[in-house]
Amino acid sequence: MTDKDNIMIEEFFKQAAQQQIEDNGFTERVMKSLPETSAERVRRLSRLWTIFCGVVGVVLFFVFGGWQILQGLFYGGMRMMLGWLEVLLVTAPTTEISVNPWVVLLLLAFVLIFLPYQIARKLYVIQ
Amino acid sequence: MAELSDIALVTQVAVLHNKKAFDQLVRKYQSPVRRFFLNQTLGDEQLSDDLAQETFIKAYVNITKFRGMSSFSTWLMRIAYNVFYDDVRSRKQTDDIDTSSAVRQSSNSGDSNLKMDIHAALALLKPDERTCITLQLIDGYPIDQISKITGMNDNTVKSHLKRGKEKMANYLKENGYDR
Repeated sequence: MTDKDNIMIEEFFKQAAQQQIEDNGFTERVMKSLPETSAERVRRLSRLWTIFCGVVGVVLFFVFGGWQILQGLFYGGMRMMLGWLEVLLVTAPTTEISVNPWVVLLLLAFVLIFLPYQIARKLYVIQ
Repeated sequence: MAELSDIALVTQVAVLHNKKAFDQLVRKYQSPVRRFFLNQTLGDEQLSDDLAQETFIKAYVNITKFRGMSSFSTWLMRIAYNVFYDDVRSRKQTDDIDTSSAVRQSSNSGDSNLKMDIHAALALLKPDERTCITLQLIDGYPIDQISKITGMNDNTVKSHLKRGKEKMANYLKENGYDR
């Protein structure tokens, strides 16, 4: 093999090396024929199971008079809250309790700023 | 949408099952993969497209096995190589592919004479020689990458290249390419 032979061979294959094959619908055909992977199957079954449980829940809700139960819970809760407030007011201490405003501010900042920030950050990272 | 790197696209496919990312990978690599098969099958377009489709399906199913030890294109070409040789073994038509090359020339392009010459020249080579020659001279892979794709060691690749180039040089001289 001489250098001349090498050059001749490289020249011969040069055009073939530059050849670009047009897609002409090949990618679509591949994408349509992709099989379902096990992870996708699990995801699909999980979605179906969620829908099934949701439907069963809605049916049971109407069959067993869900509105009445909810109303009962609501009014019962209201009565309990009022009772609790009444007891609190009746038994409230008459002496003044000293509250540190900085502690209140810190607690408020924690609840109103830090917790929502952490939740938003985690949601963003997951997505 | 900005073009993402191969690794980013593979991650999207493997972790988020993002089919659009795989669509981008297919669009990007369909040409080299189909060209590889066209050269191995000596211009049989139908068979090449079938094998290329099988290659991408295998890549999709096994995408979580891609560890990034080599580039995605090398990994994909290794799959293509295995798909081709599985097909050759299953058909037991290696000899047919070698000998029927002249009949199967592609005829739907303007530079068909050159393609005919290339496929006729490639038909003189043994399958392994043809693979090494086309991977180096058409697809532009260096010897170490050819070695990774084919699973042969470097010296075997070098000897296939040497023998293949000798045959090519003789063919080209006989057909007046040296003038």
